[in-house]
Amino acid sequence: MKRMKMVDAVIVGAGAAGAFYARHLAESGRSVAVLEAGPGWQHTDLQSSLIWARRLRWGGERVATTGEHPFGYGFNAGWGNGGAATHHYGTWLRLDESDFEMRSRFGRGRDWPFDYATLRPYYDRIQKAVGLSGDAEAEIWRPAGDPYPMPPLATFGQAEAIRRGFEAMGMHTAPMPMAINSQPYAGRAACIYDGWCDAGCPTGALYNPLVRDVPGALAAGAEIRNHASVIRVTSRNGRATGVEYADADGERCFQPESVVVLAASAVHNPAILLNSASDDWPDGLANRSGQVGRGFMTHSVAGIYGLFKEDTEPFMGVSGAQLSCRDGYGKDREQGFGSYQWLIAPAMKPNGLLGMAVTRADLYGDALHAFIRRASHHMANMLAMGEDLPDPDNRVVLGEGRDGYGRRPAKVVHRFTDDAMAVHRHAREEGLAVMRAAGADEAWAGPLGTAHMMGGTPMGSDPADSVVDGYGRSHDVPNLVLAGTGLFPTAGANNPTYTMYAVALRGVERLIDDWDAVAA
Amino acid sequence: MPLDRRTFLKGATSGAVLFTVGGVPAWLTPREARAEGADLRTLTPAQARALTAYGEVLLPGADEAGLAHYLDAQLSVDPAESLLMIRYLDVPAPWNGFYSGVAHALDALAQRRHDCPFAELSADAAHDLAGVIAGGEVADWAGPPAGFAHFVLRADAVDLVYGRPEGFDALNVPYMAHIDPEAVA
Ligand SMILES: Cc1cc2nc3c(=O)[nH]c(=O)nc-3n(C[C@H](O)[C@H](O)[C@H](O)COP(=O)(O)OP(=O)(O)OC[C@H]3O[C@@H](n4cnc5c(N)ncnc54)[C@H](O)[C@@H]3O)c2cc1C
Ligand code: SF4
Repeated sequence: MKRMKMVDAVIVGAGAAGAFYARHLAESGRSVAVLEAGPGWQHTDLQSSLIWARRLRWGGERVATTGEHPFGYGFNAGWGNGGAATHHYGTWLRLDESDFEMRSRFGRGRDWPFDYATLRPYYDRIQKAVGLSGDAEAEIWRPAGDPYPMPPLATFGQAEAIRRGFEAMGMHTAPMPMAINSQPYAGRAACIYDGWCDAGCPTGALYNPLVRDVPGALAAGAEIRNHASVIRVTSRNGRATGVEYADADGERCFQPESVVVLAASAVHNPAILLNSASDDWPDGLANRSGQVGRGFMTHSVAGIYGLFKEDTEPFMGVSGAQLSCRDGYGKDREQGFGSYQWLIAPAMKPNGLLGMAVTRADLYGDALHAFIRRASHHMANMLAMGEDLPDPDNRVVLGEGRDGYGRRPAKVVHRFTDDAMAVHRHAREEGLAVMRAAGADEAWAGPLGTAHMMGGTPMGSDPADSVVDGYGRSHDVPNLVLAGTGLFPTAGANNPTYTMYAVALRGVERLIDDWDAVAA
Repeated sequence: MPLDRRTFLKGATSGAVLFTVGGVPAWLTPREARAEGADLRTLTPAQARALTAYGEVLLPGADEAGLAHYLDAQLSVDPAESLLMIRYLDVPAPWNGFYSGVAHALDALAQRRHDCPFAELSADAAHDLAGVIAGGEVADWAGPPAGFAHFVLRADAVDLVYGRPEGFDALNVPYMAHIDPEAVA
């Protein structure tokens, strides 16, 4: 095994959380090695094509997805510098105050180890650094926070058409807050509304890790090793001693360190910990609680589509959403417990998993041509995203077999709870009613989908039933830190990345302050 | 012969994929590769015929756009480089078995019901059989789940016919690329 030079911190994964930690730690003067399973993407690689975009998705070892409602790993996972965030859509909503207090307020799920008020300053700081476009006042549902630094993005025909429907039903809409520049900001260009965000925004109008954290980390001296796939974390006397990985040539390497930051996503963080089992840690490293892998969550997705007489310009705008409606965010309702939100009028292309053709999978032949021709100018769409409560049986486990390094593959077992399914059905009906109220000639709904991955290594105050504390530090292994959306104890219904960054900022600043104690 | 990563990417950035025509290597788009009768690397001629005929029923124009050569090129690279929609659908790679399984099931179904391979069906018979496959419940279908096969092949055809700049042109939709895609994407 090749032994690498000792570093202060080894970070597993150069995705959203990993690149963020790498930049901060390197800028604080620490020597940092980042091990990333995928390629070293750069902005100039990002071709505007939904076909090309597939190359940004996970290309590593197989991840099996099972259960009654299998999680869509292939679509939801990224790899290479920037991780899934390189091709994320920049829809950045804060969680609601209630999301942090699910157990105390409703007797459901878990409480976070801190409340919204504690996280608010971190949201505000991230928002200022990144630059968010939106209209805080119009968002009647938004918890307290600084106004957005930029006005909202422009809206196009399909957003205006759907807005009519919400208004007719007495519901509210507001511009969707987006981590996309509506005007030049922080040295980055303004969006030009071409709808190619799914392939990664090469201009930097959409904030992703390639914009700031990856180049910032490199500039501050961090080393990113690409095609470096981490096998396990080694440990001795209760402390992590290093990371074993397979390098680009397949050679097994050992990277010693003072601190390990696992930022390999909500699926791979638990898989790596479970693969790091040893005599001292028979159930997996840092798993005294037995919670590693448990409480994995994803959002339910209901796509609602309509065809209008008017020209809706569905190809214009951004891949995320033009408008937001969170009238359904309240948790308690007759039709099922949990929140949902509407992402209104994402830009659509003819092809791709979220494209026009897929919405009418029943059509083929000349009928499919006719539909695509009409849809290209007259379609409108929106997505309901629903909350999934943490269920210990929804989990990341290790599958059968071992690769050449003795590593077992990750397997995700998932079923939406009855409540989550009831909320999904309710949102679907509401969406169809909105589309009809908007004047659509035809309205239809797509099948149940999944978006985002959260949980599996939950934060908590009690080491007996959580994996890490509120700063992402393992309760069991003092020099092991976890980062990313896997830390979420509950998921809410809002897209997770903004919250992930706020939590990561709080975690990395504490780590820098406490470095000597943690690394000792 | 599988394409190595460097060769594939070199072609990708120059706007084409390396095919072989009459033993001579050439950088071609799938459409050109079809027109010039470029060699297939992974699919057998019979598989290519069945998949092309099926794709053409699902979306007329897919054949001329080079569906078989497109699938063949994408199945000939490392799955991590593949651009096929199936990559999103949690089917374990490599996907050659899926496509060869669909081709085999198409021919076997056509043979049983009409006494000929799928590619030799009349237009009406092929259209009707595609409808049966789309329905998903096909007792005498022996391959990957029929409804799923319909979904995937149809998506491949849509990618090729409408997912490229010329497809957008045909729809009178501005492509507005930041960075122009390679010829196969
Ligand atoms: C299509 C799409 C659209 C999205 N849009 C939005 C949106 O609009 N708003 C929003 O809030 N969120 C969105 N997201 C979600 C967002 O991308 C994630 O929340 C975010 O990237 C999670 O960050 P992370 O650091 O936890 O994981 P990632 O960013 O995925 O990073 C994990 C990294 O770890 C690497 N890795 C994994 N295993 C190993 C290993 N064994 N060794 C070494 N490296 C490894 C991976 O290659 C990857 O680069 C979207 C996601 C997708 C797929
Ligand atoms: S629509 Fe805007 S954010 Fe999306 S890729 Fe284009 S410029 Fe970037």
